Amino acid sequence: MSMPGEAAIAITALHKSFGAAKALDGLDLSVAAGEVHGFLGPNGSGKTTTIRVLLGLLRPDSGEVRMLGGDPWRDAVDLNARLAYVPGDVILWPGITGGEVIDLLGRLRGGINRRRRDELLEQFDLDPRKKARTYSKGNRQKVALVAALASDAELLLLDEPTSGLDPLMESAFQRCIHEVKRQGRTVLLSSHILAEAEALCDRVSIIRLGRTVESGTLSELRHLTRTSIAVETASPATGIEALPGVHDAIVEDHHARFDVDTAQLDAVVRRLAPLGVRSMTSSPPTLEELFLRHYGDEETAS
Amino acid sequence: MTGTLPLLRFLLRRERRGLPWWLLGVTLLVLVQSGQSQNLYGSAEALQRLRQTLDANNAAIAMNGPTRLLESIGGEIVFEIFTFASIVIALMNMFLVGRHTRADEESGRAELIRSARIGRHAPLGAALLLAGLADVAAGLLVFTVAAGTGLPVAGSVLFGAAIAAVGVVFAALTAVAAQVFENARAVYGSVALLLGAAFALRAAGDVGSGALSWASPIGWGQRTYPYAGDRWWPLLLSLGVAGLLGVAALVLLARRDFGAGLVPARPGRATASAVLGNVSGLAWRQQRGALAGWAAGLGLLGIAYGSIGDSIAQYVRDNPNVAQFLPGGAADVVDSYLALTAGLSALLAAAYGVTSVLRIRAEETSGRADAVLATSTSRWTWLAGQLSVALAGTGLTLIAFGLGEGAAYGAAVSDPGQVPRLIGVALAYLPAVWLIVGATVLAVGWAPRPAAAVAWVVIAYCTVVAVFADSFDLPGWSRRASPFVHTPRVPFDDVAVTPLLVLSLLAAALIAAGYAGLRRRDIGY
Repeated sequence: MSMPGEAAIAITALHKSFGAAKALDGLDLSVAAGEVHGFLGPNGSGKTTTIRVLLGLLRPDSGEVRMLGGDPWRDAVDLNARLAYVPGDVILWPGITGGEVIDLLGRLRGGINRRRRDELLEQFDLDPRKKARTYSKGNRQKVALVAALASDAELLLLDEPTSGLDPLMESAFQRCIHEVKRQGRTVLLSSHILAEAEALCDRVSIIRLGRTVESGTLSELRHLTRTSIAVETASPATGIEALPGVHDAIVEDHHARFDVDTAQLDAVVRRLAPLGVRSMTSSPPTLEELFLRHYGDEETAS
Repeated sequence: MTGTLPLLRFLLRRERRGLPWWLLGVTLLVLVQSGQSQNLYGSAEALQRLRQTLDANNAAIAMNGPTRLLESIGGEIVFEIFTFASIVIALMNMFLVGRHTRADEESGRAELIRSARIGRHAPLGAALLLAGLADVAAGLLVFTVAAGTGLPVAGSVLFGAAIAAVGVVFAALTAVAAQVFENARAVYGSVALLLGAAFALRAAGDVGSGALSWASPIGWGQRTYPYAGDRWWPLLLSLGVAGLLGVAALVLLARRDFGAGLVPARPGRATASAVLGNVSGLAWRQQRGALAGWAAGLGLLGIAYGSIGDSIAQYVRDNPNVAQFLPGGAADVVDSYLALTAGLSALLAAAYGVTSVLRIRAEETSGRADAVLATSTSRWTWLAGQLSVALAGTGLTLIAFGLGEGAAYGAAVSDPGQVPRLIGVALAYLPAVWLIVGATVLAVGWAPRPAAAVAWVVIAYCTVVAVFADSFDLPGWSRRASPFVHTPRVPFDDVAVTPLLVLSLLAAALIAAGYAGLRRRDIGY
């Protein structure tokens, strides 16, 4: 159905309300075939609603939605055969084991790659013989991830898939996504962790209150981010606070603590070097900070 | 045991919505039975005749208990209701103790509690105290209802105490099972099995020499003979056994790790069998336990009704006022009795159908439907998979009822042909039951949020029409709104194909209309 070069997902001006509550308020999203696209935003910003529209579970109020060359509401059955989905909060059937759920979902998708399934179980260190009710949140998430990654789906819709995983499993997940990308498959990865998006995504879209506020490659979005720096210098660090791009600076003779726009980072570091840097720590920008700063109002703080 | 009392207060709060219904159920059972029995067998002669009829009816004795109870009208009430009330009270205790011990441990809630300044034994102690309080409340309610409907006070105290004593034994049994098994399902399964054994032992004992009845907590309760000798000492047996089991549970608790059982849980299958390959396989897997429970319950009810089918003609000759409750009056008593009981079982089968259809809504709101519908499963396939259980399951519950009634009645009149005949009688109600299933699908499709309320109102309405239409003198149009009224009252009436066909077609139309609603709306809202 989809033409070569056509976007895997193309959403324009999507609106969706639940009663009086506006979940999506003119959302735009474009995901090219073969890319890993980060779908970023604070909790409650409409990421899950968008994904559920793409799955054909919700009927859009207005706006244009195209996925894999079809209309998700009208062609849900055909389109869903070509995608795999991992929900943010994985709820499984009690009394059925993880292995059985993986097989069931695989069969409902029209087949499962048994070798890959077993490899994934090993990679994610998941015991398939345990009943679903006894799995922790992370383990339930692994069940859904193994089921999705073991499929041959050309599009993966992943809704905060790592929120319950420990760091070791998160790196296993990142390896899997790189592998998926090498195979030329498309991934829509919703997240509220910027570092995860940085590690995996070709492009990201940032949404807030049901509306897309930024979209582009991460380097294009660099101007939105700031790095926090704490530095101890041999000569007094005076004058740092006056540099362009430096914010919230606290300077006490040999110590300085400040935030710097990522675009100005290079210039500021060059100014620090002649002062004789004895120690320096920098923390990467977080999405939460970015939201607080860039769109700063209390609604984004959730 | 530190923290037991604050925990008990917390448990009472958690139970404030569920527990009152159980207590209400027991109270209503006794209330209805007391009124009914005093109406039917109020005179000494009526009671005397009843005893003569029942002394020769092993099936009735197996279902109810020793006929020595029939010495007085109070004893007759105990005879009729004690086993049923015991089953209800035992299940109440099983769920109370199971929920606040093993189920909480399994879900991880108990871990949060145990991390506070709470003794190791406190959660179990609090759960047992909760069950004890509930049993005392149930006993007081039974006493109040019995004495309030004019029965002797001493016997009523003993009646209430005997019911409470059965509850206490099953609370303690559940406490032990909760230490032995690692998951709550196994706990409930083992206690339900013991409850079945308690019922079977006293049934065999009451029919035979009576010795086996002494191996059953329900038998101990019945052998206090309330209103028929008022014997107090069997209560000590119940309390002693319950005390020993409670202590055993506390000792076992100290010998195991948190979250573990004395018997480790068996791991499940690593891969799905061929059955779990599509939506209907999943639906059957999810609902098979509930279906088995309903079918067993209706089967038992069928045995209970069937066991007195042969005696019913005698009853009616002796007590002409019963005849007004039967559609055919005094003529053709047995067939109209069988038609009446089949109609009541159809209401229960319809209630099962409603619970099964409402699972569709539960799948939606839990988010599990998302996982299925996100695959290439159409909404129709999904709905049909779930509905296959409701449609076939209602048939199976009716068959179970007909099988039970036919076997018990057939054994009484030495006619094995009653089994297929009464299965057929029960199945005559299947189209009407399907119509209720269809109405529920319609509600789920178009009004998902109030669907459960709508469906239960429909069931309640049909029950009122079936049971009280004459007493309330309901107008004809309001009766005709119930699908059950349009089912021929076989075997009393002849089988008529047209109404059954119309009911089936209407059911299909409602399902199709419900699907049209489901197809156009959001999932999960």
